[in-house]
Amino acid sequence: MIRYFFRALRAQLHGGLSLFALSLFGVSIGVAAVVSIQIINLNALSAFSGSMRAVSGGADVTIVGKMPSLSEDTYPRVLATPGVEAAWPLFRLDVVAEDLDFYLEVIGVDFFTPIDLPWEGASVDLSAALGEPGWVAVTPTLAREKGWELGDRLEVSVGTRKAELVIGAFSDFQKATPLASTRLAVMDIAQAQSLFGARGQLHQIDVKIFEDVDQGDVIAELERSLGTQVLVLTPEQREQQASDLLSAFRLNLTALSFISLFVGGFLVFSSTQASLVRRRTEFGLLRSLGATHRQVMGLLVGDVLLLGLLGVAVGMPLGYLAAEANVDRVSATVTNLYLLDAINQLEVPAWFFLLAAAVGLFSAGLGALMPALELGRKDTRALLAAFSLHERVGARAPRAFLLGVGLMFLGGILYWLVGDRWRPAGFIQAFLLIAAVPLVTPLLVQGATGLLRVRSFGLAYGMKGLGKQLQTTSVAIAALAVAVSMVVGVTTMVASFRETLAIWIEATVQADVYVSTPAWRRSRRRAVLDASVIEVLARHPAVEQVDRLRQFFAYTNGRRFSFAGVDARAPGEKTRFALLEGEMLGAELGGIMVGEPLARKEHLSVGDDLVIDGPKGPVALPIKGIYYDYSSELGSAFTHLETMAKHFGDGPVNSVALYLEQGVDSEHVVDELKTSLADVPLTIRSNRRIREQALLVFDQTFAITRLLRYMSLLIAVTGVALTLIVLARERSAELALYRALGATRLQIFRVFLGKGLGMALIGIVLGSLAGVVFAFILIYVVNRAFFGWTIFVHWPIGLLVQQSLVILGASVLASLYPARVASRVPATELRREDL
Amino acid sequence: MEPVLEFKNVSKHYPQPSTGVLKALDDVSFSIQTGRTLAITGRSGSGKSTLLHLAAGIDVPSAGTVSFVGRDLGELSDRDRTLIRRDGVGLVFQFFYLLPHLTVWENVSLPAWIASDAGMEERGRDLLERVGLTAHASQEASKLSGGEMQRVAICRALLRKPRLLLADEPTGNLDDGNSEIVMDLLMKLVDEEEGTLLYVTHSDEQAAQADERLALHSGKLGPA
Ligand SMILES: Nc1ncnc2c1ncn2[C@@H]1O[C@H](COP(=O)(O)OP(=O)(O)OP(=O)(O)O)[C@@H](O)[C@H]1O
Ligand SMILES: [Mg+2]
Repeated sequence: MIRYFFRALRAQLHGGLSLFALSLFGVSIGVAAVVSIQIINLNALSAFSGSMRAVSGGADVTIVGKMPSLSEDTYPRVLATPGVEAAWPLFRLDVVAEDLDFYLEVIGVDFFTPIDLPWEGASVDLSAALGEPGWVAVTPTLAREKGWELGDRLEVSVGTRKAELVIGAFSDFQKATPLASTRLAVMDIAQAQSLFGARGQLHQIDVKIFEDVDQGDVIAELERSLGTQVLVLTPEQREQQASDLLSAFRLNLTALSFISLFVGGFLVFSSTQASLVRRRTEFGLLRSLGATHRQVMGLLVGDVLLLGLLGVAVGMPLGYLAAEANVDRVSATVTNLYLLDAINQLEVPAWFFLLAAAVGLFSAGLGALMPALELGRKDTRALLAAFSLHERVGARAPRAFLLGVGLMFLGGILYWLVGDRWRPAGFIQAFLLIAAVPLVTPLLVQGATGLLRVRSFGLAYGMKGLGKQLQTTSVAIAALAVAVSMVVGVTTMVASFRETLAIWIEATVQADVYVSTPAWRRSRRRAVLDASVIEVLARHPAVEQVDRLRQFFAYTNGRRFSFAGVDARAPGEKTRFALLEGEMLGAELGGIMVGEPLARKEHLSVGDDLVIDGPKGPVALPIKGIYYDYSSELGSAFTHLETMAKHFGDGPVNSVALYLEQGVDSEHVVDELKTSLADVPLTIRSNRRIREQALLVFDQTFAITRLLRYMSLLIAVTGVALTLIVLARERSAELALYRALGATRLQIFRVFLGKGLGMALIGIVLGSLAGVVFAFILIYVVNRAFFGWTIFVHWPIGLLVQQSLVILGASVLASLYPARVASRVPATELRREDL
Repeated sequence: MEPVLEFKNVSKHYPQPSTGVLKALDDVSFSIQTGRTLAITGRSGSGKSTLLHLAAGIDVPSAGTVSFVGRDLGELSDRDRTLIRRDGVGLVFQFFYLLPHLTVWENVSLPAWIASDAGMEERGRDLLERVGLTAHASQEASKLSGGEMQRVAICRALLRKPRLLLADEPTGNLDDGNSEIVMDLLMKLVDEEEGTLLYVTHSDEQAAQADERLALHSGKLGPA
């Protein structure tokens, strides 16, 4: 039988090379889509974990503060805790160097504590490290990249404060942990504190626990003695925290990538069924010659296995390349939106390849399952005759349709029951929808083609024929519809989001000029605007009003959010915030405004208190209003600067918004301010620039979904080509009959173009309808449940029409080759018995 | 008068892997005049279908000429031969070759659709009535019996009033009773329409119904 398998394989490849190649293509792209997303997801956190291991590798637990820095008595208390073998304090600060986009992660360490640093070359001259102002060790990789040498000087800034670093040594973190950020820089802790004006401040304490004591006990003891102001975290917990940050982003990408694989599965289904139909005589003969059912099944499984394996073999490298091509975009998202380390390099562990292979084989197997089950029936030959298959699909169409409608109904009930309150609901609904599409397809194809009145042998005749070969056509149409629904759904969601964001920015970004510092994006609270700078800004003749903003991350109920203090506007002036509920803060102090994502996640509404961990215990502020907020999925809240100072102490301002006199050109003012404050590290942006940049970041974040959308479309269009080739082969007798009855080649060509066009049209219409539902699921369920914000639906009609035309065009292009094959079938082929 | 169809020294060779060439037709000459019926008999493999294919311009001869109303089919392009077949030839096959998923009516209309020939509905209905299948017009062809299928196929072949009707063992797949019905119908319709018919058959009895008969023996044509 094995020998027969290979012999048959050869014959089959010979007879249906294009068929095999197309299904292979589909499987490969499907695998590539999943592989690329998984590689990116896998590596999204790698830099964070790598850096963490590089810096705190020797520690069992790490203590960080909920407040921006740890209080001074924390370190002695940690040392005094029983079970603690050693503990060493760290000073951590992200500083901006040279151009704005480049930052260094400065780590101040006490060189006398047992911290292992991977010095390059001989050990380091500690007297220089301690004595030379600004002495810093950077990674050799970064030094090479920037062309630095020992002794080079480096201007850096945090907020408006500047400092000069001197490269004193190289510490090769990548040698021990290859994925660690290349931007790690080490210096003496006392030096760092004085250099950046933070005497006595600590940000992290790494703790080593005795081997023979219970780690859990020590952690509990630390938590008890240090109070609620700190978090005591194991490395696993820290990784988990970072991973939670990205989870929604990663999960959504994964879900989208699996749609591609799903569509690829349809292709396997089509081609398996086609090869079964083609080989039914052969299988029947083998059976009559005494081959067991098992053996025949084995032949088929062998085919599918081969397809799956080749699909994985091609798809995996393809996926890696796609990941590599897109890693920068995702990396930008990870750093911009989630403030994690950039992805430096992609690393793919061995187990991943096994997993990918399993996924590829599994989906190929799943695609082949149904046709293979057909083979198990008694009279293989008759059952698999194209016409009887068609009849059976046709007979089952109404039932399948009802089932499909039932599934959608189920999704509706689920929405009615749990809405956006249960996270998996969105994915279940999306799955139900995607499962329903293929079920409703046959009846719809029958109905749509049944409406066609054919008067001549051309495009319309070809389209009408689609309803006459349901077993083949409905699969491809369903695959296309699924892909289109995803494209329409995601396009609509992204466009709606963008529009919502644009309107929100329009409403929120109302000052004329915004001033912050280059370090602001990463260092937040510590990126401080010096009071003298604010004075200079206020003195500019065109500036009418200066709104100050102070911002840091705070905790409520264990959840980190962005907390801001602002200058409340004078009452009666137009509010900057679009409100979801309640009203804007007035002149009266003490209240707080909460953003929608935070309110949703913490189930807060107007009148409730937001309880924030403060330096002297919890602070409860009554919620005055809830505003639309798309700034960060973490959530945000703001109050008066005065209220913030009262509960959290006085603090410096991080950025200001300037309102100019009527009629003044803000770009001009920006230029003037830049000149007059040339030696201060500042980011001064006009209203227009800040809006542009916000949308730029948005576009960057969603760029990766475009790749996924196109991948699944590519597979679906391949499905159209595949189906038409199957039709051209299966139905060669029919084509020969047309030729015998006097149809010209050109006419046959047109009939086939009609089929391609018809499949595309039905697929697009059905897919668009499903896509509308898909968009609603994404907008009202998935985004609300995962991110907590309200997106206002906006139909990108022009874009959707344009995409539909592209799909239509692609399908027609994909029909050209099959149409040519069909048109070349000679009338002499009519020798065959079956029609 | 010019014959509808004329074979002059026609040979058709098929290359064969082992024995060189196979002479499916060997120096065949005959002609058929308008309004006449000609039956060709022969054993299986004697070249009957090959001859009909050449007559319909589906295939071209290896040597000799096949002329349809004076036009040498071998000289024409595939497209021109196709158009001649479309507009001048009707075909009836042993295996009927109806499209199972089309209705009876649609099967009959197919030649008109292919020729973009509007105004054939009347004619189609008329033909269906004459073969007694009006009641089945909107039924799927696959639901018919063999005899009914062949009657539909005859309607399809006659729809556009072809100058030449070619039938390849039109009753080869039918039982005796149905064979008789179908053959009688075919002869009657051709007679009424003053058509020209060339048919091949195994059966001497059926061959006897034609105006003339010829016989094929291993590719050579001779008197019956
Ligand atoms: N395309 C082809 N290639 C090679 N040989 C062919 C081809 N078509 C027909 N033949 C051979 O030519 C010979 C005549 O075939 P043809 O089909 O004309 O016979 P027939 O008289 O119609 O037989 P039957 O009564 O079985 O239909 C046969 O030996 C056949 O094998
Ligand atoms: Mg024959």
